[in-house]
Amino acid sequence: MSDLDKAIAQLRACRTIPEAQVRELCHKARELLIEEGNVVTVTAPVTICGDIHGQFHDLMELFRVGGDVPDTNYLFMGDFVDRGFYSLESFLLLLCLKVRYPDRMTLIRGNHESRQITTVYGFYDECLRKYGSANVWRYCCEVFDYLALGAIVLGASSSLQPSRQPKTQSDSGSTQEYIDPDIEIEVLNAEGGYINSFPRTRSNNAAQSSPKGSPPTKTGPPGSGASGWSTGTPGNPGGAVLCVHGGLSPLIDTVDKIRLLDRKQEVPHEGAMCDLLWSDPDEIDGWGLSPRGAGFLFGSDIVKVFNHANDLSLIARAHQLVMEGFKEMFDNTIVTVWSAPNYCYRCGNVAAILELGEDGSGEGIMSRSNGDVGRSDGGVMKEKERVLLSGPARRYRVFQAAPQDSRGMPAKQPVADYFL
Amino acid sequence: MALSFQEPEGCTMIWKFVHSIQQSLVALSRQDDALSDDIDPFQNPITLPPPSLGNLQEVEAQLRGLTNTQNGRDAVTKFVLTDGYIQKLIPLVEMAEDMEDLPSLHRLCNIMKNLILLNDTAIIEYAVTDEIVLGVVGALEYDPDFPSHKANHRHWLGKEGRYKEVVRIDDEQVRKKIHHTYRLQYLKDVVLARILDDPTFSVLNSLIFFNQVDIVQHLQMNSAFLKDLFGIFSPQEKDEERKKEAVLFIQQCCAVAKNLQQPARQQLYNNFLGHGLLSVINYALRHNDVAVRVGATDVLVSMIDHDPQMVRQTIFRQIGEKQAPLTDSLIDLLLVEADLGVKAQIADAIKVLLDPGMNNAPLESLSKTGGDFASRLRPQMDPQQAEFLKKFYDDSAKKLFKPLVDLKDREDMEFTVHQVSLFIYLIEILCFFIRQHPYPSKYFVLSEKLAQRISQLLGSPEKYLKLTALKFFRNIVGLQDEFYNQTMMQDHLFEPILNIVIETMPRDNLLNSACLEFFDFIKQQNIKVLIKHLVDNYRDKMKEITYVNTFSSFISKYDQTNGFTSSAESFQDTEEDTPKRPGTAKGGRWASGIKDLDPTEEEYYNTSDDDDEASSKTTSRNGASPASKPLVDYSSDEENEDGDNDSPPNGNTSESSPVVDTENERALTPTLSTLPSPPERLSEKRRREEDEEDELGKLSHHKRRNSTGGPSPNNVLRRKKSFNNGANGGPGNNGKHNKIAISLSSAIKTSADNKGGDGGS
Repeated sequence: MSDLDKAIAQLRACRTIPEAQVRELCHKARELLIEEGNVVTVTAPVTICGDIHGQFHDLMELFRVGGDVPDTNYLFMGDFVDRGFYSLESFLLLLCLKVRYPDRMTLIRGNHESRQITTVYGFYDECLRKYGSANVWRYCCEVFDYLALGAIVLGASSSLQPSRQPKTQSDSGSTQEYIDPDIEIEVLNAEGGYINSFPRTRSNNAAQSSPKGSPPTKTGPPGSGASGWSTGTPGNPGGAVLCVHGGLSPLIDTVDKIRLLDRKQEVPHEGAMCDLLWSDPDEIDGWGLSPRGAGFLFGSDIVKVFNHANDLSLIARAHQLVMEGFKEMFDNTIVTVWSAPNYCYRCGNVAAILELGEDGSGEGIMSRSNGDVGRSDGGVMKEKERVLLSGPARRYRVFQAAPQDSRGMPAKQPVADYFL
Repeated sequence: MALSFQEPEGCTMIWKFVHSIQQSLVALSRQDDALSDDIDPFQNPITLPPPSLGNLQEVEAQLRGLTNTQNGRDAVTKFVLTDGYIQKLIPLVEMAEDMEDLPSLHRLCNIMKNLILLNDTAIIEYAVTDEIVLGVVGALEYDPDFPSHKANHRHWLGKEGRYKEVVRIDDEQVRKKIHHTYRLQYLKDVVLARILDDPTFSVLNSLIFFNQVDIVQHLQMNSAFLKDLFGIFSPQEKDEERKKEAVLFIQQCCAVAKNLQQPARQQLYNNFLGHGLLSVINYALRHNDVAVRVGATDVLVSMIDHDPQMVRQTIFRQIGEKQAPLTDSLIDLLLVEADLGVKAQIADAIKVLLDPGMNNAPLESLSKTGGDFASRLRPQMDPQQAEFLKKFYDDSAKKLFKPLVDLKDREDMEFTVHQVSLFIYLIEILCFFIRQHPYPSKYFVLSEKLAQRISQLLGSPEKYLKLTALKFFRNIVGLQDEFYNQTMMQDHLFEPILNIVIETMPRDNLLNSACLEFFDFIKQQNIKVLIKHLVDNYRDKMKEITYVNTFSSFISKYDQTNGFTSSAESFQDTEEDTPKRPGTAKGGRWASGIKDLDPTEEEYYNTSDDDDEASSKTTSRNGASPASKPLVDYSSDEENEDGDNDSPPNGNTSESSPVVDTENERALTPTLSTLPSPPERLSEKRRREEDEEDELGKLSHHKRRNSTGGPSPNNVLRRKKSFNNGANGGPGNNGKHNKIAISLSSAIKTSADNKGGDGGS
């Protein structure tokens, strides 16, 4: 058993690892993360998760519901730390898994992965208590600076595949036998039991004229902004899924613009990088001021134009508590995924993870280079095509907080000695 | 809520309505209480039955019922306090434990929880007294939500020796308070962590806070105590362990002091300093125990945070007395320190101590007087500070950056982990200096050839070291400073950066993005000198890079204007010539004393003569003409585009004619220019400047934060840019995208505290 595997085992038991080991882990993680682009490309199948916020036992529940690493390919959309009492164990476990299985684990940055925020909302305090010095906090913050800002999921299937058989064979899981190809959204409970599903609406070709956009001179992989028209590329009619923690930015009109950021820095108070981590969708037109004091609010028109321009069928984001665990907005063009059940140990919400299946045809996966500007003159504009891409088939697994008894009593580490 | 009415009648009507509703509600709630509990809190004082193991269920139910209404809660609180009810509950815990009666224990826990969540300060204060605290937490060990668990609160709190008394505290009350505070913290963090509601949380916090204030106030006024405390560090004391504890004690005092009111904190530090805090710090910084060193840096940093000027005064005194100043000790330590935490804090401390912006308190008053922008944008340093800086650059800075200077002639770029982290800190400090004191640092960087040395680090195999080095160049390009640009061009410092782009090109990684951002900035700002240089020298290389259009746009821009030499851009010629004659440029510029010299800059280069300095200062103050405003249009790209005025250089004397910075020259002579409406422009700029000043004033107390974080806000040019962009129609204006510099500056948002409103996550 390697040191890393030992560390994983120890962290899974919710025990911290020694400071020297944290340092080594963070160095290794840094080597890996520095090689990642600002927007990581991930190929389906993938399970997308939202905020964790140091709720370690609920993270373990998430792995139980969604499948263990490396069997399941995970994408976490930030906010691993703060508020819960086990930020350190949660983040370090995720980081260990990232180092151990780099291709099966994607971590992107949330607004809480920041020095300033963690000093206020608990992570700093937790490190200080658990190690007696702020060094571990500094190591972690250093890693935060290297985390990617977003991810693009390619090759997601537009029809659901049979779900992974749950360990406990529940007889309510009748959906497993036959999957209706027209099902777009399926909601399952923690044991894989059927809760609800929604068929694909076929008649959304409603006359939504395309926005006054640039002429379609680009063809390329979906999501790169280099492809010409909103149907995506042949073989991947679904388009790509963009994952960010917060949302869009007025400074970012194409995904490729995100690549031009120097992300290795503390999350700034304004600018594109800040917005990606802080913004929220809202029922407004255009852009609005965010009550959070950072980032913006953006309306459905913004999302639709952005998705169209970038060949996206869906934006997945986290950042906001939703009582049902997930919430699709704006004609299913954006979804909020929240993965911290009973948030702060008292909000009473359920959590969800989003599974995107693999496109069986294999054509959907087209590697995204960084685009090649001006390489195409194709992309003939067809008739007025619909702006909205049909999204990939989505399976949400909804789960509740880990049973109280499976965990210790959540509490902070007490201060050991005192003078005052 | 506030309502306003147009007519008095309307007000009366609403009031009557509200009143009637209130009446009926009160009547209803009385009924409710009467029905459910058979107790009317308004008539009779309520009572709970005397507790016994037999009737706990009843007690629990009654209590739960009563706590539903505010009136009920008040009544229960009164009863519990007068009756000594908690004390009556406590023996039951042990009884139930002896009988292994788990249901009763769970009920006791619930009852105790409910009593504490009544959220009454008197009850909570009582609960942590010596007599009953173990009983209270004992009851709370059996949480019915965790039936198979039992906490060990009594074991933790009962353990002797958690309290370390470095120096005997004679006052019984204060000692008690110390214990109570610790228990309150334990309640807050551990016992009640999961169930605390916001009101109880804040009650606990404020109790802790007021206790701490009392304790610290008592200690710092007690000079006998302070004498004993600092006496520990006298040579007579042989017990090293005790010294260590004394340092940690002081560290905790300072941590608590952060929450005190400013005058109380001031008093505390004054008293500590009076008793020799600095020598304690000096001792502790060199201690071989990391914890002690961390403690010492903590104390130092909190003192600097409190009032950097106070610490600087001490340093000035040390310099005056020909002692080694504190900054030098810090530098020595930074160079050898192995512990990351200590290192980070020392680096921070050095930055703050050398940040002249920290003492710009008079800034706001200055900005009200209006007029002299130059002196407002770069507040005049007081002479002492200037002298300190000068001495720093003459002497200490050489020591600090020696590891970088020593890179000269070094071929291999393999470093130890320790070296790499030292380089990273040094470069970060240097970036900070470049922003905070542009002039002395510029001279230093150029004369020590630091840019060339840091450029070597771009060849290191360690990617994160490369990134840090790149950040340095991004910083100096961001300044859009002629001399830095020249250095970069002369020594071909763009080449290694361009090479990194090409090396990493097929990959989409962090290093690649950072390089692209670097060149994209040049493109966005349209820095023609640099674009010309790049195309002149690296055209072929740049042609290879096709996956972003940054480089092809350089080439096309260059070709369209024949290397910026087309007639439309003729005035640029002089500018383009400048790099080729750097010697004249420098000499001419300094010698001629053109007005565009910033007073601070001027002052720096003239510091040898005191009289000179004074006079130059006065002239700059008096010469309040807008023309003396430096760098006005320097970076504004729209001006570059439309400005083709070859206004003759008129402010300069003979020797400097070809090397005048035309941009500034145009700012000096707005009336001669052919710009659409220069006077308006100027006034508009002035107004903006003023607005900005307010922003700046607001920001000044957030500086400290910025110093630790990302790129600093103190780049005047960039701030102006982002401001202008804001004025251009804000974020919603999609059409303006290319103009909105992706500003990395971190400080414009007025208050970081706004983020406290982070509701959802």
